[in-house]
Parts: sequence; C-alpha cells; structure tokens
Amino acid sequence: MNRDFLHAFARNKGAVLGLAIVGAVILVALAADLLFPASPWEMAGAPFGRPLADGMLMGTDMLGRDIASGVAHGARVSLLIGLASTLAAVAIGVLLGAVAGYYGGRLDDLLMRFTELFQTIPNFVLVVVIVAIFTPSLVSIVVAIALVSWAPLARLVRGEFLSLRSREFVQAAITCGQGDATIIFRQILPNCMSPIIVSASLMVATAILLESSLSFLGLGDPNAMSWGFMVGSARTVLRQAWWMCFFPGFAILLTVLGLNLIGEGLNDAFNPRLRRKRKA
Amino acid sequence: MSETPEIAEPAAPLLEIRGLTVALPEGGDRAFAVEKIDYVLNPDEILCVVGESGSGKSVTAHAIMGLLPKPDLRIAAGGILFKGRNVVTMAEAEQRRLRGHRIAMIFQEPMTALNPLMRIGAQIEEALEIHTDLGKAARAARVVEMLAAVGLPNPEEIRKSYPFRLSGGQRQRVMIAMALALKPDILIADEPTTALDVTTQKQILDLIKAIQRERRMAVLFITHDFGVVAEIADRVAVMRHGRIVELGAAEQVLNRPSHPYTRALIGALPHGRPADKPAFAPAAAPILAARDVHKVYRVAGTRVGGRRELVVSDHVNLDIHPGETVGLVGESGSGKSTLARTIVGLVKPDGGRIDFAGADLVALDREGFRPYRRHVQMVFQDPYASLNPRHTVGDIVAQGPVAYGTPRAEARARAAELLRLVGLEDSAVARYPHEFSGGQRQRISIARALAMEPKLLIADEPVSALDASVQAQVLKLLAEIKERLGLAMLFITHDLRIAAEICDTVGVMKLGKLVEIGPAAEVFGSPRHPYTRALLDAIPGQGWAPPQDHGGS
Repeated sequence: MNRDFLHAFARNKGAVLGLAIVGAVILVALAADLLFPASPWEMAGAPFGRPLADGMLMGTDMLGRDIASGVAHGARVSLLIGLASTLAAVAIGVLLGAVAGYYGGRLDDLLMRFTELFQTIPNFVLVVVIVAIFTPSLVSIVVAIALVSWAPLARLVRGEFLSLRSREFVQAAITCGQGDATIIFRQILPNCMSPIIVSASLMVATAILLESSLSFLGLGDPNAMSWGFMVGSARTVLRQAWWMCFFPGFAILLTVLGLNLIGEGLNDAFNPRLRRKRKA
Repeated sequence: MSETPEIAEPAAPLLEIRGLTVALPEGGDRAFAVEKIDYVLNPDEILCVVGESGSGKSVTAHAIMGLLPKPDLRIAAGGILFKGRNVVTMAEAEQRRLRGHRIAMIFQEPMTALNPLMRIGAQIEEALEIHTDLGKAARAARVVEMLAAVGLPNPEEIRKSYPFRLSGGQRQRVMIAMALALKPDILIADEPTTALDVTTQKQILDLIKAIQRERRMAVLFITHDFGVVAEIADRVAVMRHGRIVELGAAEQVLNRPSHPYTRALIGALPHGRPADKPAFAPAAAPILAARDVHKVYRVAGTRVGGRRELVVSDHVNLDIHPGETVGLVGESGSGKSTLARTIVGLVKPDGGRIDFAGADLVALDREGFRPYRRHVQMVFQDPYASLNPRHTVGDIVAQGPVAYGTPRAEARARAAELLRLVGLEDSAVARYPHEFSGGQRQRISIARALAMEPKLLIADEPVSALDASVQAQVLKLLAEIKERLGLAMLFITHDLRIAAEICDTVGVMKLGKLVEIGPAAEVFGSPRHPYTRALLDAIPGQGWAPPQDHGGS
C-alpha cells in the first residue's frame, strides 16, 4: 500500500517539483550558517549594491546587508514558524474535532459554536491583534497563527469522525469494551489521517504567508531575519532597488507554491478516485 | 387474454454472443473478465445467467449495453450479434439507437437508478422523446399506460411525483416501466431483486415473468440466487471465473446439473428445511431474557415542525437459553438489527429490561455494563466495514482481551490460536484485512468475537454479504463453534432458508413487533401469523427441490 502511494505521488509531476522546491528550501535553511556564517543583520558591503556586484549574489540592501544571507536565514524563520504553528493548529484542531465528532450532541454543538467564533473573525486581523497584544516574538507569532488556523481542521476532523463513528469496526471496538480514548486514537484517527495530512501541508503554506504578512507590517520577531521583513523594509525603495524586494518575495512565492503542489499531490495520491479522473 | 401455446419451432436467435472476450486492465488477478463466452438469447424466453461475485455475469450484459467502463475494460475479441448485426463494430450513433429502444436494461439498486430531481413521468418520457416521434399528449398517455402495466396504483399521480415518495419495490417497477416504454425486444435485468425484501422480490419476479409472457420479449436475467432461477428461468447459463461452465434448459440444469461447479453451487444452497435434530429443550434458565423492550426513533419530518415516529422495537419479549440458537427473521426495517444492537448495548432502548446473568443491562451505565459486555459479543454484517483497515488481523483479534487487561503477548498468542480455529493460516496474524476475501474477513470477525470468550454470540446477518458457497462454509463454522463452546446464539437474517436450517427457535419480526416465535419446525411447518405465511410464500424457487444426492459438501 505504501509503495502504491509513493508511485501515485511520484506520477504527479507537479508534486515532485513541489517536493524538490521545498527540499531545496529546507537544505538552504539548514545550511544557512555554513553558507553565510556572518549574521544577516551585519553590514557586508556598500549599501544599494546590485546583484552580482562586489561578489554579492543578490546584492545588498539600504544598510549594506547581504540579501542572499537574509534570504537563507529567513528560510529558517519561515519554515520554523510554518511547521511549529501548523503542528500546534493540528493538535488543537484534531483534538476538538475528534471530541466533537465522536461524542456528538451538546458537546458537539458547544465545540462547533466555539469553532465558528474563530472562523467568523478574519484570520489576519486576529493574528495582528494577538501579536500586537503579546509583543512580537517567535513564540507569540506561532501561537497567533496556530490560533487562527485550527478551526477549519477541527471541522474537517469532526466530519470524518461523524462518518467513521457509525462504522461497524468502531461498533465492534465498543462491544469489545475498548475505552473512548483507545477508540478515538487507535481506531478512528488512523483512518482519517490522509485528509489531515493534506490540509496540514497546505496549512504550512498559509502559515508562511501569514508570518510574511506580519513581518511586512513590522510585527515580526525583531531578532529574526525573515522574508516578510525584508520585503516590508525594502518596499519604500522598490523603484530604485527592485532586487531588495524581489529575492525575498520570490522565495516566499516558491516556497508557498512548492507546499501547495505537495498538498495537491498528497491529495491525489490519497484519493485514488480523483487520481484516476486526472489521468483520463 | 388467451395465450397460444409455445411456438413450435425455435425462431432465429435475437441476440447471439459469439466468443466474447473482455480484457481486464493489466496487473489484475486474471487477464479477462469474461473469456470466449458463447450464448444465444431467443425471442420469448427468459435466460438466467447465474454465478458468484466476480464470475463475469454482469460484464457480458454491460458489454451488450456499451456500459463497460472505458478504458479499463475493453472487448478484446468476439462479437455481440443483435438480429444478425454485430453491435461491437457498429457506429456509436447506431448503437445508441439500439440501446433503450430495442434493448432495455434494469439495474440492481432502484434507490439510485432514478434521478431524484426529476418527476417519474419526465424520466420515462425522456426515452420516448429521444427514440419516437410521439406528441406530448401521446407520450403522457404511454407513460400512464406503462405505469399501469407494471402494477403501480394511481399511475396518473405517480407520473407527477418525485422518486423519494416511492418505496424500493415501487421504484423498481418504475424502472421496469421505463425499460418497457419503447417496447424493446430484449430486457436485460441485472440482479433486479437483490436489493429488495423477499415479499417485494416475489412481486417483481412475478411482474417480470408476466410481462415477458404477455409481450413475448426475450429477457436476460442476471442473478446469484438459484431460488430466483428456479422461479423464472427457461434456460440457465452458469458462469464461473469468466467462463460459462454449463448452459441448458432450466429444468435440466437445476435438477440434473452436469458440471461439478453447478452441483457444488446447488449443494451449497440453504435447503430451507428445519434440521432433523430433536427440538431444543432448554436445560437451564434463559441466559438472556428481554422483557417489553421498546425503542422509537423520532425522525424529522419533511414538513416544518412535523416529526415522524418510527417504532423499531415494539414491546419485544425474547428468551435465549444456554446452547440455543435463536433466529430473528424479518424484512428490512423490521427492527431485528436494532434489537441485536440493544442487547450488546450499542442502542439504548426507551424502556423495558434485558436480564443477563442476573443484571438488567438496560439500567446499567457504560461503566456498569463493562463486566457484562465481554460475555455478549457480536459478529457484524459487512465484512468490509467491520474490520479496521489500519490494524493487523492479529491486533484486531487481540484488542478486546487487551482492553480487559490481558497482557498483550498472551492476547496475541490466543489470537493466533483463534485464527487457526476459524480456519485461517498462521500468517494471517501479521496481515491487514484488505488482503482477505469477504468470507475470510467474516472468519476474522468471528475470531474477534470468540476472543472475548462470550456466553452469547449475536450474529447480525453474518453471511448476507457473501456468495452462496462461502455462505455455507461460514454457517458451518458458526454451527461447529457454537457446538464446541456451548454458546447461545442470536442469529439475525432476512433469509428464511438459512434461519430454517440452523436455528432452534425462530422469531418473526415485522415493524418492530415480534409477531411469531416458536421452535423452527413449528414456525416453518405450521405458521400461525399471516405475515409469517406471506414471508414463507415469497421464498423464491419453492416449487423446486434441489437434488440432494450430489450435494457438494
């Protein structure tokens, strides 16, 4: 079954491309200290250096900082925030969705109204408010993004649980005297992993975008070089020095594109019926 | 209407299947869905194609109708001749003219075969509009005529209603009306009664037979049930693994089958006679006594605020003694499964009591129920849904005892032992459910129930999803295990033939009520309730006694 899955995934060229892009971004993030041992905040050359001038691959910004170094170190921040906030959001979403879907009734009503509360407030506004209240730092940004992202996942998991709950294998588990926690985590959850994985991979992309937007507004972690911050700080000189915005912006675009392609590929691979349609 | 007797000499065949071979996609378990199939369909006859699932019986019909899923299945060789002209090589447009017009088809699932958003009349008219140049009024008149012909009450009203207002049997009648609207030469019926209750099945079979006789149509009837074959077939083709193993007149195939596979199939049929064992005499007090159990589902009505009440358990009383097999029979919606689920604690009844081992199960909460739970185990209907696809078979069987505190290693050793007991290989422990066939999965399900060392085993339609030959094996296994472990069993089935064969006591349920209960021989031999009689009358193939001498045991 696993080999089939890999085959299906590998047949989707877009997904393989996405995997390659994201793989490259991860490599750059891991190797940032080797490639650019100096701090990305330090001056490395003359300000407003064009790309490839003075040995600077992507040029320098208004303060003479190396943009290539910033992009490499920014990859760390973006990926870290993307992954951490997604993990947190998945944990909240799966737990609430599972409980709501499994128990149903009043508890379900209550949890779903609570979920809707988060769904009705525009994501970005809420993130800005939360980060503004708890001074910007990596932790507060991760918490804020996780808080706004879990709601759709909770609904998804609830739906899966609602339909799986009445399956005979779950009823068999009940008649075998298994406890609720065992049934939720051992019986039902493994059966709805595929939609969770798919939406989580897409959530990483959204989280990276949210983080970039925050940094663009100046609400990023002031100690961490990030893509959004670079785009934001360079926007005033966009017409004189295009490269300052272009490279970090392009990094965001590529990473998000790669993650979306992976998500789509996973979706097709997990869902054999769609897979066949695509082929026809 | 006075019918002239059978036409003396056989007319030219209407439909000829010549060496038809349909290829399966590469990498399947066999290369061809059907291989070198030959048969003819004559005017004015019912040809039954019988076989188990995967025998390729439907594929041929679908090939005739051009319904093969492209590009997975394709006709690799052979031809389908309709009045001497090859359908396979015909242009697409010509094929379309043939389909629906000269050859019509009805399907198994009446609930999904009709478009839910179109009125019945419009759906039947559609074919008339495409294939004829009748005017609007003439079309409406034809629709009413057809609906009346298939025995629907109030055809004018049904013409204007939507499918959701009709029952399954009525929808199947509509499907037949739709198929007949163009007065086709051939009617292909693909398991048209499999999804229906016995009494409805009988009506539909009678209808198809009557219409065939009246219109002298040719009917190609696909089924897995030899009872149905005995009921309507003129000729029979038996299929296995994509080939026809036996073809001949119904009387001959049914009573003097020549191929060993046909013999085995007929031998595996539940014969529907109560076993010749002595009547069950309870030696001890009942292990389970249900008293006055009732349950009502409140269904949201179609109109705002309107609520419908669905009585699924209407003050039911039931005793099960140690070592006794109690059968519950009834049609869908009669509440037999609900009663079973109430006993294992999956459904909470509205009232009544169920006494088991000195406690009233209904009054217990989930924690209180736990100690009793392991003594009442259930085998579920659907072998494909009742095993968690993500767990190994060993885990599935061991899970119950582990939940009750048995050390994991010990539970797994016991699981292996049980899997052997139900006739699976040792390697089964480490494999996943999808690697097993339906019958094997049902064995796993039985092993899982046995792992809890139950005193009462509840089997909810345990064989209804299985082919006849596998059915017989699983039933045999259940009977053996019951005997060996001295279990009491509650056996739920819609198939009266099976109930007659394996149950000591039989209860008949209708609309939540237990209308009759008694020793199997008595209930089947001299039924007291009219509903029991109706059910028994509806069993297909009653006029036929399967030859017993060459039963393939």
